[in-house]
Amino acid sequence: MKRMFLAVALTVVLVGGLASAQTARRGGQLRAGLDADPPNLDPHQSTAAVDRQVFQSLFDKLVDLSQDLQIVPMLALSWTISSDAKTYIFKLRPNVVFHDGTPFNAEAVKFNFERMLDPTVAGFPSPRRSEVNLVQKVTVVDPLTVQIDLEKPYSPFLAALSDRAGMMVSPTAARRLGRGFSLEPVGTGPYKFVEKRPQDRVVLERFDRHWDKNAGYVDRITFRPFPDEQARVANLRSGEIDIINIVPATEVAALKTDARLKLLERGGLGYQGIYINVSAPPFNNRALRQAFNATIDRVTLARVVFGDTVTPANGPFPKGVLGYDSGPNSRIPERNLDLARAKLREAGQPNGFTFTLKTGTGRIEQQVAQVLQSMAGEAGIKINIEILEFGTLLSQLDAHRYEAGRLGWSGRPDPDGNIYGFFVTGGGLNNSAYANPQVDTLLDAARILNTADLRRRAYADVLNVLNEDLPYVFLWWPKEYKAFTPKLQGFVHNSDGMLRLRTVWLSP
Amino acid sequence: MTRYIARRLVLTIPVLLLVSIIVFSLINLIPGDPALIMAGPEAGKEAVEALRIQMGLNRPVAVRYLIWLNHLLHGDLGKSVKDGQPVLNILLLKLPVTVELAAVAILISWLIAIPAGVLAAWRRRSVIDYAATTVALAGISIPNFWLGIMLIYFFAVNLRWLPASGYVEPWIDLSRNIKLMIMPAIVLGTALAALVMRLLRSSMLEVMGTEFIRTAHAKGLSDRLVLLKHALKNAMIPVATVMGLQLGGLLGGAVITETIFTVPGIGRLAVESILTRDYPMVQGVVLCSAVAIVFVNFSVDILYSVIDPRIRLVEDKA
Repeated sequence: MKRMFLAVALTVVLVGGLASAQTARRGGQLRAGLDADPPNLDPHQSTAAVDRQVFQSLFDKLVDLSQDLQIVPMLALSWTISSDAKTYIFKLRPNVVFHDGTPFNAEAVKFNFERMLDPTVAGFPSPRRSEVNLVQKVTVVDPLTVQIDLEKPYSPFLAALSDRAGMMVSPTAARRLGRGFSLEPVGTGPYKFVEKRPQDRVVLERFDRHWDKNAGYVDRITFRPFPDEQARVANLRSGEIDIINIVPATEVAALKTDARLKLLERGGLGYQGIYINVSAPPFNNRALRQAFNATIDRVTLARVVFGDTVTPANGPFPKGVLGYDSGPNSRIPERNLDLARAKLREAGQPNGFTFTLKTGTGRIEQQVAQVLQSMAGEAGIKINIEILEFGTLLSQLDAHRYEAGRLGWSGRPDPDGNIYGFFVTGGGLNNSAYANPQVDTLLDAARILNTADLRRRAYADVLNVLNEDLPYVFLWWPKEYKAFTPKLQGFVHNSDGMLRLRTVWLSP
Repeated sequence: MTRYIARRLVLTIPVLLLVSIIVFSLINLIPGDPALIMAGPEAGKEAVEALRIQMGLNRPVAVRYLIWLNHLLHGDLGKSVKDGQPVLNILLLKLPVTVELAAVAILISWLIAIPAGVLAAWRRRSVIDYAATTVALAGISIPNFWLGIMLIYFFAVNLRWLPASGYVEPWIDLSRNIKLMIMPAIVLGTALAALVMRLLRSSMLEVMGTEFIRTAHAKGLSDRLVLLKHALKNAMIPVATVMGLQLGGLLGGAVITETIFTVPGIGRLAVESILTRDYPMVQGVVLCSAVAIVFVNFSVDILYSVIDPRIRLVEDKA
C-alpha cells in the first residue's frame, strides 16, 4: 500500500513537473516592440507593413501561412478549386463571431470583398483592390459556403488571402464607421482592440469568445513603436519589452551570445538589390549594366557589410519560396573583372563610365554603396553615391528620375508577389521602366499555370532573360530574426516575419 | 500695461500667418509625393492616384492653403491623412507630454546652472570656475542622441534603476511618470544648463563690477546676501531673455530626445508626420510650436518688469 502510494506520488510529481514545463499558461501581459508606429488599423486601408504585425492578433484570415509556407485553413476550413482554376468554393468555420457580436458567415465574406473592390461600399478606395481585382463575383451558397469567381485563373489568389486581403472585418462596424473603422477596428481574432495612442501604444485584450480555445493565452498585448533601432534593442535588454519585430543586423552577433535573451533565425521572403533605369543613359546600354554587374562580389558584400546575417542572391526567390532552386535564381555569379572590361569595350566605353547610385539613409546603406563603389572602381566604373531620405528615394525611383537606385522588397510567400509587378511592362513596381514582351508572356503564363513544377519552369525562363537584361541587380536575401525574452514561450517563427502572438504564453 | 499687452497680442497674428505660409510652402518643396509615400512602395498606381485625389493633392498649393486657413478660422485644423483622426485631438493629446518634459528639463537646467554659475562667478579663475566651465562646454558639445543611448545603457540596461522608455500620465501613475521623465529631461536639460550657466557667469561678473554691489559690500552685508539677493536678481535679466529664445531649441531637442526615449510628445509627432508627409499634421504641429514660442517670448517681456522694476512697459507715444 505504501509502495503504491509512493508510486502514485512519484507519478504525480513527474507528470506535474513535465506539465509545468510544457503546458501553456494563461494570463499576463505581453509587450511587443515594433520598428514603427502602425499608422492605420483597418486592413482594407492599411498600406504600411508594420500594421500587419498588429493585425495578426486582431483579425483572422480566410487562410493562413504555415511555417513551411503552405496555405492552411483559418476562417475557411476547406476549399475546392474548379478545373479551369476560376471558381473557388470555401467552406467556412462555424460558430465564429466578431468582437462586436456580429456572426461571421458567407454574407460577411461577401461584404468584405465588396468593401475591398467598391469604393462606394467602403467609403474609400482600398489599396487591397489590386490584390483581388480579378474577383468577378462572390456568391453566398449557404450561410457557411461562399463561392468566388475569378475573371481568369490566378494562382497567387490563396496567398493573397493569407494576408490583409483575407482579413475579415465586421460588416456591422465597417458600415457604421466607414473610414473611421481604422480607429475602432473589429475583427474575429483572439484579441480585441482596446486603445491606440499615436506614436505611443496599441493595446489589445483577450477576446473570450474566440473560436480557437487554444489561442490567446496572454490577457493583454501592448505594442509600442521604437523607430530608433538602438533604443529598440536597449528596451528589450532592460526588460521593458518582451519581443521585437525587427532585429538590426548590427546587433545580431551580440544577441546570439546574450544568455538573457533568445534569438531565432530563419530565411526571409524578400530580396535586396539595385534598380537600374533602363530607359535613360548610361544604362539604356545593356552592356554597361552587364559590366557593372560583373564587378560585384556578392559573397564578399554579404560578409563584409552584414557579417553573414544575409544570404548572397541572384534572383527574387529566397530559400523556401517556390522557384528558389532553379539555377538562374540561386547560382551566385562570381566576380569577373575581365568580363566587365570586355563589356565596357563592347559598349564602346573601354575606359569606363560614371553613374549615380541613389540610396537610403543609415550606416548599412552607406556601407553597401561604398563597397559597390570600390568594387566597380577597379574596372574603371565610377559610382557617385547620393543619399536620400526614404520617401524621396521612393518618389524619384517611381518617377524614373534616377540612374541606379538601392531599394528592395519585403517579399511575399507566393513567387508571383516577388516578380510580377516589378518586371511586367508598365507594372506598378516596375521602377526600371523595363519592357520585354517575352517576359510579359512568361509572367502571365505563370499566373495561369496551376502546378508548382510548371510555374517553377516559367520563372526559370524569366530569370534567364532577366540575368542577361539586368533591369534589377539582385544582391542579397535578408534573413528573418526575432529576439525575445526567454519568458516568452510558444512563439512560432515564420519567414514572413509576422508576430503571430495567439500561441504565445509567458512563463512565470 | 493692459493696452500694451493687447497691442502685442494683435501683433502676433501677422507673425503666425507668415509662419503658416512659410511652412505650407516649405512642406510642398520637400521632394517626395505624399500620396506615393502614404500608399507605400507596395501599392499599385491606381491606389496612389485615388489617394492623391482623396488627399486633395490634385489642387494647386495656393488653393489648398486658403482652404486650410478657412478651416483654421473655424477652429478646424484638419484631419490626419494617415488615419483620419482630427489634428487638434492629437495635438491636445501630445502637447501636455512635451510641456511636462520641457518643464522638467528647464527645472533640471536651473538646478544645475544657477548654483554653478553663481559659484563660478564668485570664485572667478578658481578650480570651481574652470571645472564648471569645462563641464558646461562638454554639456553643449555632447550630442543628445549619444547621451540618451548612454543613459539608457547605464541606468536601464546595466543598473536597472530606471525604465528605458515610454510614458505614463502623472495622474495614472505618478512615481512611474517621474521615473520615466528623469532620463529624457536630463538629456534635454544638460545642453540648456550649460548655456544658462555660462551666460549667468558672465552676467554675474558684469553685475558684480557695478557700484551698487560695492555699496552693498560697504554697508557690511555678507557675501552670501550680496551674491544671492543683489547680484543674482540683476544678472537674471539676460538669462530670462535667453530662456525664452531657447524654447525653440528645446522643442528641436525634444524631437531627438522623444524619439530615443519613445516619449509620445510633439517632437515625435513632428518627425513621423514629416517622414510620412502628413501635411495637415505637420501644419498643426508647426503652428502649435509657433504659438508656443510667440507666447513664451511675450511672457518673458512681461516678466522683465517683475525682475527689474526699472523696466516699465509703456506705449510709445509716437
